[in-house]
Amino acid sequence: MVNDRIKALDLEGLISQSVSEVFDTMLSMQVEAADRDSERKLEGNRIVGSVSFAGEVMGNLCIHVGKDFARLMAAAMLEMAVEDVEEEEEVIDVVGEMSNMIGGGLKSRFCDSGMPCELSIPSITDGNDFKVSAMNWEQHESILFRYQEHKALVEIFVRAGN
Amino acid sequence: MALKVLTVDDSKTIRMIVKKAFQPFDCQIFEAENGVEGLSAASREKPDLIVLDITMPIMNGVEMLERLKGDGFLKNIPVIMLTAESGKDNVMRIVKMGIKDYVVKPFKGEQLIERATKLVTLAPKKAGDGSEEASKKYFTVDEEFQVLVLPEKITRQVAVEVENCLEANFEQLVRSGMNKVIVDMRQVKEISVSLIKLMMLIIKSCQKVNLRNRIVGTPTLCNELKEFKETSDIPVDASLEEAKAGF
Repeated sequence: MVNDRIKALDLEGLISQSVSEVFDTMLSMQVEAADRDSERKLEGNRIVGSVSFAGEVMGNLCIHVGKDFARLMAAAMLEMAVEDVEEEEEVIDVVGEMSNMIGGGLKSRFCDSGMPCELSIPSITDGNDFKVSAMNWEQHESILFRYQEHKALVEIFVRAGN
Repeated sequence: MALKVLTVDDSKTIRMIVKKAFQPFDCQIFEAENGVEGLSAASREKPDLIVLDITMPIMNGVEMLERLKGDGFLKNIPVIMLTAESGKDNVMRIVKMGIKDYVVKPFKGEQLIERATKLVTLAPKKAGDGSEEASKKYFTVDEEFQVLVLPEKITRQVAVEVENCLEANFEQLVRSGMNKVIVDMRQVKEISVSLIKLMMLIIKSCQKVNLRNRIVGTPTLCNELKEFKETSDIPVDASLEEAKAGF
């Protein structure tokens, strides 16, 4: 049963590993996962990059970051000063790429665990007053990461596909 | 003749990272946003190397690669695939398609260059490409010391300019028997990622050719540098005289 195989995966561990690796390699940022008891949500003005899985595993992975953190991430990835990040397009592109790389890492683990699936190209949601809800998903994980005073929330929703 | 490299990726960010990775070399970079544009650019430019993303809209990297391999004119161009997916099946699939190498995202520019050097010859940029001007702009000689003066704001452009002329200047310094470099950062107003990376590069470049170096900065800058893991242990002198005496 695919659902049993999904449950057997340490999704939280896989996400933590993938997020840390992507932030470290691409942005030279060492993020820390917040402890289990801390509040795992991020609200307000933010950019959300998301990718979807389709196949034996269906699901969605998204990364929420505040606008300031997103600009800092863009500056780090493009190796420029924050004030030199002039275009919103660059910030959006970087958040999208981050979701693609984190999602790509997870997709690889799903495939290696006998659950082949495809990964979508990233999409972006940008705004202030919205909420991502988990509905009809077998498993949902939400992990808050910190870098200095900044936060990034990574969520994953998965279930068995057709 | 400059080596032609085609980067095909829907992400402008990744294309910029690829461009930056090849910047120190005598390369001409061409960009395309998807497989359709990639094939068109490949036919037009006949690149020496293609760096190809897999997941792209309109035409993905797999389809573009299939079409490349089916084209007698383009089939022998070496291709490095960039993929966010490191799963066994994915790796097997792209290896079977006849690619020369692949790089799994997340990746550093250095990794890409390491793979590229196995496929093509990357020559350092030739003189006359702007590095001489940059050299005059940032480097001066003061008695037995070479002084690298960094400007108020270290933007990506400044960092690239300094980086491009660093190696040649240091090699010339070694040949002339000098071995002391002072990095004068007193004009620098604020710390940025570009500045930290540039400082690390300067220090590493000095170490590589056995040059001794000292940093000069304002007390404010000195305090701010202490807050960063990479620069917290670097001693900062308050004046050129102090730096000269410190060697």
